Amino acid sequence: MSERYVFWLQELGQEHCETFGKKCGNLGEMAKIGLPVPPGFALSVEAYKNFMTQTNARGEIENYLCQLGGNIENIEQFNQTSKDIRQIAESKEMPDAMKELILSYYDQLCRKCNCADIAVSTRSAGPASHPGQYETYLNVKGKTDLLEKIRKVWASSFNPRSLAFRKRKGLPLENDPIGVAVLKMVNARAAGVVFTADPNTGDTSRMIIEANWGLGESVVSGELMPDVYILKKDTLGIHEKKLGRKSKYVTCKELGVAEEECPADLSGAFCLTDEEAKEIGRLGILLEKHFGLPQDVEWAIERDSELSKGIIILLQTRPAVIAQKKSPVDQVADLMLNLFSKR
Amino acid sequence: MLRPAYDLTFYEFDDERDPKIYDVLLCDLVHGKPPLKPLYFGIGWYWYVYAIMNAAETLRLPTTKGWGYRVVDGYPYITAIRTSQKEAEERGPIFREEIKPFIENFDGIWDPFKSELMGIYKQAKESRGLREWDDIKKLSNIDLLKFFMDFAFVINRKEAEIHMLMLVASYYINGLFQQMWREIFGKEAAIDPAFHRLMTGYEAQDSRVFRELWKLARKAVHMGLENAFKTENNEEVLKDLEKSDEGRKWLKEYREFLVEHGWRCERMHAYDNPAWIEKPGLAIGRIRLLLPQESFAFDTERGRVIQEREETEKEVLAKLPVEKREWFGTLMKSAQKSGYWSEDHTYFCDFYVGAMGRWIVTEFGRRFAEAGCIDHPEDIHFLHANEIRKAAIPMADVNLRPYVERRKEAWERSFKLDPPPFYGNIQKAQEVLRSDPTLSVSTQLPIVREELKADLYGAAAAPGVVEGVARVIMGADQLSELKKGEILVAPGTSAAWTVAFSFVKGLITDGGGALSHPVIMAREYGIPCVAGCLEGTKKIQTGMKVKVDGNLGVVYILK
Repeated sequence: MSERYVFWLQELGQEHCETFGKKCGNLGEMAKIGLPVPPGFALSVEAYKNFMTQTNARGEIENYLCQLGGNIENIEQFNQTSKDIRQIAESKEMPDAMKELILSYYDQLCRKCNCADIAVSTRSAGPASHPGQYETYLNVKGKTDLLEKIRKVWASSFNPRSLAFRKRKGLPLENDPIGVAVLKMVNARAAGVVFTADPNTGDTSRMIIEANWGLGESVVSGELMPDVYILKKDTLGIHEKKLGRKSKYVTCKELGVAEEECPADLSGAFCLTDEEAKEIGRLGILLEKHFGLPQDVEWAIERDSELSKGIIILLQTRPAVIAQKKSPVDQVADLMLNLFSKR
Repeated sequence: MLRPAYDLTFYEFDDERDPKIYDVLLCDLVHGKPPLKPLYFGIGWYWYVYAIMNAAETLRLPTTKGWGYRVVDGYPYITAIRTSQKEAEERGPIFREEIKPFIENFDGIWDPFKSELMGIYKQAKESRGLREWDDIKKLSNIDLLKFFMDFAFVINRKEAEIHMLMLVASYYINGLFQQMWREIFGKEAAIDPAFHRLMTGYEAQDSRVFRELWKLARKAVHMGLENAFKTENNEEVLKDLEKSDEGRKWLKEYREFLVEHGWRCERMHAYDNPAWIEKPGLAIGRIRLLLPQESFAFDTERGRVIQEREETEKEVLAKLPVEKREWFGTLMKSAQKSGYWSEDHTYFCDFYVGAMGRWIVTEFGRRFAEAGCIDHPEDIHFLHANEIRKAAIPMADVNLRPYVERRKEAWERSFKLDPPPFYGNIQKAQEVLRSDPTLSVSTQLPIVREELKADLYGAAAAPGVVEGVARVIMGADQLSELKKGEILVAPGTSAAWTVAFSFVKGLITDGGGALSHPVIMAREYGIPCVAGCLEGTKKIQTGMKVKVDGNLGVVYILK
């Protein structure tokens, strides 16, 4: 019998970051220490490998690349190569045993959530952290949709930016095994990120929360001005809050999600209560303490269920990329240049 | 049309062209009043302007390449040679790196420079077997000429390069500090007593020199020589002391003091004022003033001043948000050190090199007069360095009088003139001053505050309010006219005037910003001071009653 390649989240921990991808490992770790993460399961990188080998997608991709002779030089070529390879991977039917195994977990998840065809998100999880490199699919419903989106997540390891990244790093193009997290979809009223240190200044006495109405994708993509809360870490007091220009937000449709204009009454109002902001901050501190480093955390607040209303759910955590704090001399030199270069 | 400037090529002001090139030229009242003589313009002044440019290029100052300058009617006018936008962008990143060592450790750069300068002066004297002022008479004409050229082209150049590099860094650091002060506390640093408390209580070399003088005064008292100082005539004092064993013993010590610390002229940037070592009577006047002082004012004040400074440091940092404290602390420290530098450097730079220049040119004056090239030794100041260089070889067969005469006439005319404070478009002055903060060493625009209805507006240089009778003093040679408790009104003062600070009640100067010499010294001595009010010596006359408000930086003429 081959290695087990589907696990419940709570069975995972940090030690599984290599085999299931960092997102899965960290979600498992959060579940293990009792933090609120959505129920769900994860596919290891072995699942990816099995799929690619058993369907012979791997062989076809290798052939394709072989014929190309490594001649990918410009964006059009990356786009075309990517399109062709993804086509190869996505067109493969999932082997029956794999299909059954994954669907058995999905069935159990549906039962657990007391809902047929429960909506899930299928999230990519690379063993190395490349935020935003692979695709994630939201509000996925039913078995067919789920299996298709899992294949799409795997195939996204051949999207143009992944190919370009591997090419630049001299890594093999034909293969980039990633894990997949299948999580119960959080139909968020509001969502966003929290940095447990100021990423711009390296100030570790502060936390920064960015939030918008709807799903967190609008915040993560960085295309609009979210609400910003600056919290003092020692007291969780709100040091400052800035109302964003939340012109759009991302919301669940029947299937999938869409970006919509934000109604005027919402765009002009803060999307979190101060208590919610503090609770997000509290969770952030717990994560930072547990992982021993400032964290960059995605969170969401459930909209639907009366039961879970107002509960903050954590969707991801990873070490925050913090600007190296500049030395005081460098800070003064910057001010000096700023003042004395005005003509 | 070019306005003649003592035949100094390129120094002439072009009425039509220059205002277009430079926007505005501002009169350097601090150094240039009374008017400088041609010889100094050609040597000391040249090297300073050169060295400002050298510093601007070394540090790649983003907005200025140094000073543009002209001499109009004997007065120096300065402005910034501004860079283009493109140049500013190219220079900026290099400047950012070059200025960092100064921010990090100002003293660490200055201390080795001090030793280097003292080494250069020592070597210049010892290699020629010179120690006392009159020793230079032993040099042959050719050796004197060599010394002159070494001085004019090597020693003075080196001094100027170090001096101006430090000066530029000091002014940029202080400029930033004052700007941040304005932004954070909403106050002009120049008129904020807290700012002045921060800059005070560091022991500059001049304080050490004056402590030595005070010790000599104490010795004179202990040796029972006080009576010798009763006469106002300093030369008489020296003669009187020669008469007794104790007196001669004291004079021997005084002589040693002068050999060590007497290399300073009463006026910093000029060769036409005697040095202490040249005219020992000069410092006798200082000692007379110190005789009644049982303790050295600087030392008794110092503990309090340092304590106040340290308390102010804490208060200032406590007012800042946590995240600003670290860099502000770093900036504050380097601003304090560079402020201290502006007082410390005068001994090693301005004074020493000035006295050495005077030493050499005075000897040339003596020889030229003796050889019949000029009428009086002092006429040497109306010649140029290259004329001295050429005339020094035949010495006897050259008639330098025609050169001297017309320049002397021009200088005498200038002396009686009241120089206009600027040429060009005064509206551009703020912009020009901003583009080159070092200009404020010589010239600054007063902060006029109509609502105070004052007669003069300047920088609140040293806190306190005082009323008293004004005494207008145009040069160090007039210092003896000062009476205890008067308010000194001067174009600017050099550190050589410091001794007057122990008995004047207040100080008003025409030139100079927050880091200029008078300002720092007044702060040390706790005398209310308003600096840089442009027209103090013009509007105030000796005997007028005035009120100096050193907290607000304004002066009221009472009657």
